[in-house]
Amino acid sequence: MTKLCCLAIMAAGMLAGCNITDDDEKSAQDLNVNSHYVVESVNLTGARRANISNLLRSEMDGFVGARYDQSALEKLAERLKKELRVPDVQVKVVRGSAPDNLVVNFEIEPTHEHVFDLNVGQFVYHSKEGWSGDGGATVNLHGNAFSFGLVSNSDTLIERYAGIRARYERKHVGTDRLRLRFDFASFHSEWNAATLAVAPEGEIYRDRQSFSPMATVVIADPLELDFGADFARFRVPLPDQTGGEGAAAAKTESSNAVVSTLRYHQRWGSEHDPVQQEANASYSVAAATSVFDTDREYTRHMAKARYKYRHVHNSVEIGFLAGMIHGDAPLYERFVLGDSTTLRGWNKFDLDPLGGSHVVHGSVDYSYRVLQIFYDTGAIWDAPQQREQKQSVGVGFKKEGFQLAVAFPLRAGRCDPIFYAGMNF
Amino acid sequence: MWAEEVILNWRDNRLEFSAPRVRFLEEGKPMELLHNAEAVPFGFQITLWSGNRNHIFKTLTDRFVVSYGLWDEKYQVVKTQSPVRKVEHLSVVDAEKWCWEQMAMDVTGIGATEPLWVRLDVRAEDDKGSPLFAGSVGESGISSTSLVELFSRPPRRGQSHWGPYEMGPFTLDELKRSPRRGS
Repeated sequence: MTKLCCLAIMAAGMLAGCNITDDDEKSAQDLNVNSHYVVESVNLTGARRANISNLLRSEMDGFVGARYDQSALEKLAERLKKELRVPDVQVKVVRGSAPDNLVVNFEIEPTHEHVFDLNVGQFVYHSKEGWSGDGGATVNLHGNAFSFGLVSNSDTLIERYAGIRARYERKHVGTDRLRLRFDFASFHSEWNAATLAVAPEGEIYRDRQSFSPMATVVIADPLELDFGADFARFRVPLPDQTGGEGAAAAKTESSNAVVSTLRYHQRWGSEHDPVQQEANASYSVAAATSVFDTDREYTRHMAKARYKYRHVHNSVEIGFLAGMIHGDAPLYERFVLGDSTTLRGWNKFDLDPLGGSHVVHGSVDYSYRVLQIFYDTGAIWDAPQQREQKQSVGVGFKKEGFQLAVAFPLRAGRCDPIFYAGMNF
Repeated sequence: MWAEEVILNWRDNRLEFSAPRVRFLEEGKPMELLHNAEAVPFGFQITLWSGNRNHIFKTLTDRFVVSYGLWDEKYQVVKTQSPVRKVEHLSVVDAEKWCWEQMAMDVTGIGATEPLWVRLDVRAEDDKGSPLFAGSVGESGISSTSLVELFSRPPRRGQSHWGPYEMGPFTLDELKRSPRRGS
């Protein structure tokens, strides 16, 4: 027994005098008397377990029942630090509930919140529709975030809207599982000639404001539920004056809806691992009924899903969305295809200048390093007989949020490419 | 010049050191790490000059990896330089004492009346970015050369260290009569 002990010590001593290999890690543990103890549980504080990848979560759980290994725990802490992008992750160890058992806590040091933050959310140039962008400033005070931003967007809706956005958000309301936010927006709307030509009277508004109180509840990681309301008002020119020189007379309409979104986000691996997967899915519903004293009664359903698989420098991303509106929804609620993320290469006004009440869309993006190719397909319609599948392909470059792409609609006859450039679109 | 913290003794032609007031296991960051179940390496260096301060008779360096058992509340110390030794179930005082005992220096060849000076230096490798600390936890190797390099430069900012404690001049004759203690 004494000989065995001496051998172990000699091995430990050799570690001090030469390079340590993985094979020697057991001997390295002889340097720490606590390696005789068994890890009873592993906890994470300062961050939700859902925020870390499945791979790291399973590695954390793998320590339970094993002998205490300081080196391995510190390596995992370093990987957590990289994945969560936090200043530090500390390993804290205390006695467990049973003799010779230890409890390991990974303590995440929170990222220092900047009191004042400026950001550019999205910036995109579309060769047919021009520039779209939004940016703003956020002030963080004692867990409260106040944001103010400017928006000019001709990409995502059938209108070009420009104006201001303001938000108050509290990310912890008694618990990490409950967040609250209040959004306010005021936009001026401009319309494409194609839309004005086909829009029914009373649909075209010049200005709109919305106020939206929302709560987010973490049901069970990684499943979250948003619920709240959206109170919107928009000014519609009186029918006989629409577009005319003296179109000052207008009426104000309201669109008040209860809204809810069920969201799922899961990832496996991190950007530091050779293989990384990420899945996002959401289902949202908005219901505007007379109960909320609304002028527009409608129900809007939308489902989205996105899955990304990356292996070293290759990545494949598959996206799907489907939506349906019943009733008399305002134009800003109608679906659009042919923007910078759907049916890229198509002009949205050629597809449906009023937007559609039904939509289905799928896309596949493949990228190798910065090179990207993509294929989109989808249909947008109001009446079933209008449903027609469209397709497009494109190629581009993408690096750290910046993207440059050209896309072509797949159709007979003339084929005009559309160019996209910008960030975060 | 005598450091108050260190006691020098002569026995069987060996210089022995003890420093009951130097509580390197019970202070600051090393203690915090030890009580968090971490193993903390400590570098020891003793330099002995003979004749004059320009002649180094011997420099002794060693490294002790100390850990504290959370359940038995006792210390384990591993002496990592040859001859490698390991002791367990020590109280904090005994663990500190054992480290000093391992630093005893053979002074064969030194005259009984030759003036001597000694300097003792202890540094904890409590900075996880340091190669020595990394070596103790299996990331990269360390060598006796790295120990010498460690003591050839001032302690890093924030690194826990004790000393250097300097004593001298004294002679072996004086030590044989009674241990020298800082006054």
